[in-house]
Amino acid sequence: MIFTVFKKELRDTLRDRRTVMMMIVIPTLVFPMIMSVFMSVSESFQKKAAEKKVKIGLVSNQVGSLEADLLKVPESLGKKEFIPFTDTVSLIRAIRMDSIQVGIYIPNNAEQLKSAMQPISVTVFHDGTDLGMKERADAYVTYVQENWKKQRYAELKIDEAKITPFILEHSNVASSKEMIGKLAGGFLPYLFIAFGFMGCMFPAIDLFTGEKERATIETLLTTPVPRWKILFGKMGVVVLSGLLAATFNLLGIYLSIEVLNLVKDPVLLQAIKDILSPTFIIMLYALLIPLITFFAGIMIPIAVRAKSFKEAQSIISPLNLLIILPAMVGFFPGVELNEVTALIPVVNIVLATKELIAGTLEWHLVAMAFGVMVLLAVIAVLFSYRKFENENNVIS
Amino acid sequence: MIQISHLSKSFTLNRQQKKELGTNQNSVLAVDDISFECLPGRVHALLGPNGAGKTTTLRMLSTIFKPTKGSIVIDNIDAVKNPQEARKHIGFLTGSAGLYARLTPNELISYFGELYGVSKNDIEMRKKKLYDLLDMHDFQNKRIGKLSTGMKQKVSICRTMIHDPQVVIFDEPTSGLDVITAENIIQLIRDCKNQGKTVIFSSHIMGEVDLLCDDITIIHKGKVLFNDTMEAFRAQQQAPNLTAEFIRIVHDQKTETR
Repeated sequence: MIFTVFKKELRDTLRDRRTVMMMIVIPTLVFPMIMSVFMSVSESFQKKAAEKKVKIGLVSNQVGSLEADLLKVPESLGKKEFIPFTDTVSLIRAIRMDSIQVGIYIPNNAEQLKSAMQPISVTVFHDGTDLGMKERADAYVTYVQENWKKQRYAELKIDEAKITPFILEHSNVASSKEMIGKLAGGFLPYLFIAFGFMGCMFPAIDLFTGEKERATIETLLTTPVPRWKILFGKMGVVVLSGLLAATFNLLGIYLSIEVLNLVKDPVLLQAIKDILSPTFIIMLYALLIPLITFFAGIMIPIAVRAKSFKEAQSIISPLNLLIILPAMVGFFPGVELNEVTALIPVVNIVLATKELIAGTLEWHLVAMAFGVMVLLAVIAVLFSYRKFENENNVIS
Repeated sequence: MIQISHLSKSFTLNRQQKKELGTNQNSVLAVDDISFECLPGRVHALLGPNGAGKTTTLRMLSTIFKPTKGSIVIDNIDAVKNPQEARKHIGFLTGSAGLYARLTPNELISYFGELYGVSKNDIEMRKKKLYDLLDMHDFQNKRIGKLSTGMKQKVSICRTMIHDPQVVIFDEPTSGLDVITAENIIQLIRDCKNQGKTVIFSSHIMGEVDLLCDDITIIHKGKVLFNDTMEAFRAQQQAPNLTAEFIRIVHDQKTETR
């Protein structure tokens, strides 16, 4: 009988356009949309930044060698145009008005200092909100400085290697999979959890409050099916809807990389392919099933008690925030799954998924997180059962 | 057969309900110690003004509500102790109940047949018989949401009768229906009676009661005011017609209560 109720409710749910949008269409499209927007914005930003001719104000009372060398900086470091200024006050005003993007101040005694082989204090004026401009000016000044250094070593007959005590090199021992998992891996569980929750929401309200509102529950309760079987049949559809939303989210990721070719970076592409392995998917579902059952167990008592769709929605929607906020913990790079975070619902699943993506899973912590969620899911189901058994809640 | 003995039902009130009802009481007694019997092959009218306790009584009979006190026996089954078994014998048709708009009549009726434990073959057989009877073949595969009120009512009848119940409860089944659709229901009630089923009929339309019913129970404020055969009701009648007589009985009770 549970399966009979489940089958009917699933058919009914899949014919509801609103639920299908939240369960299939949006979860499938969200990742490709985010990726295509992110990729096109980042590509166009990089392209624009490279093509942009930076107007650089130059405050200098003479045309010395530094000014001349700055003019000779190659175009490969970005297009530029130098505009002379007489003082820093008008230079700052011009930056603020965006008629120039950065300014370089060269002191009057620059030539003397150069001749005396003394350092020249060069000031770069920039607007901190105009991203990338300071770096462009720094790159030009650094280019000239490196050339001058070489000239000085030659004049002083110094072997550069002899005055360089060591060369610092960095070697990253983390795999690209780990890097993505630890630094950006919080984003995926966030999506799965957010859509898992939203996928449950409309079916939960429709199958419980909706039945009350449409007065169909009365006829269902006159059938010789025990209420717990009706509840389990309906709950099965609510949980499945949440899981389907997460599944379509996963499908969206797959489509982004395999069909739409939205990920161009080969390292990132390989890392995402490694992540989407059968082991990852099985583990992900093992973590999501108790979590989504827990969500269903929270929503159903509310939906059972609510008198109208609107009332149920007004209570469950804010609950969304309570779920989403802990899910955002995964965005912070330092937060990891440990004996404490494994006990915090939602946070534990986000962090466990993040570790799973990074491939740095500690099994005892995952078991703890899984155990906590199973326990909470059982409590939530029992609570739903109590509410559904109460005739005052079910019949309006 | 239905035997109702000393049946009571009280509801606990929450803060909001107390406010709405303007009372400080923690509970409200909707049905107060009522007893009556409905016999097979007879149509039993259950009448009362709004808020009299009719719907609560019918919901207890159909085992949706559990009585606070008293007993209900349906076809020799204790419906309070064994509600699931009792439900197999009951068909419940209410004018206020909705249907699943996204299903087709075929899907809905098969679903309820399965819930009542009817075998697939029997469901198909009964469906065909009912579709013939109610002329439902043309719209059996259309979504219920797109059907007219009359068509929906036919679907409701079909859903109620798919398991061939021995006890059929009709709660204001003709309210809001046009004359032709209402006539279908009246005909169904007559058919049930002729087949020897026990029928309870609750309505505000005294003309229908006069036409169909063999026995009558009038309840008001949860108590039974009158319980006898229609003949006995007509015999003691003081007012010129049944509606006036019904009003008189309820009014007399109100005066007595004051």
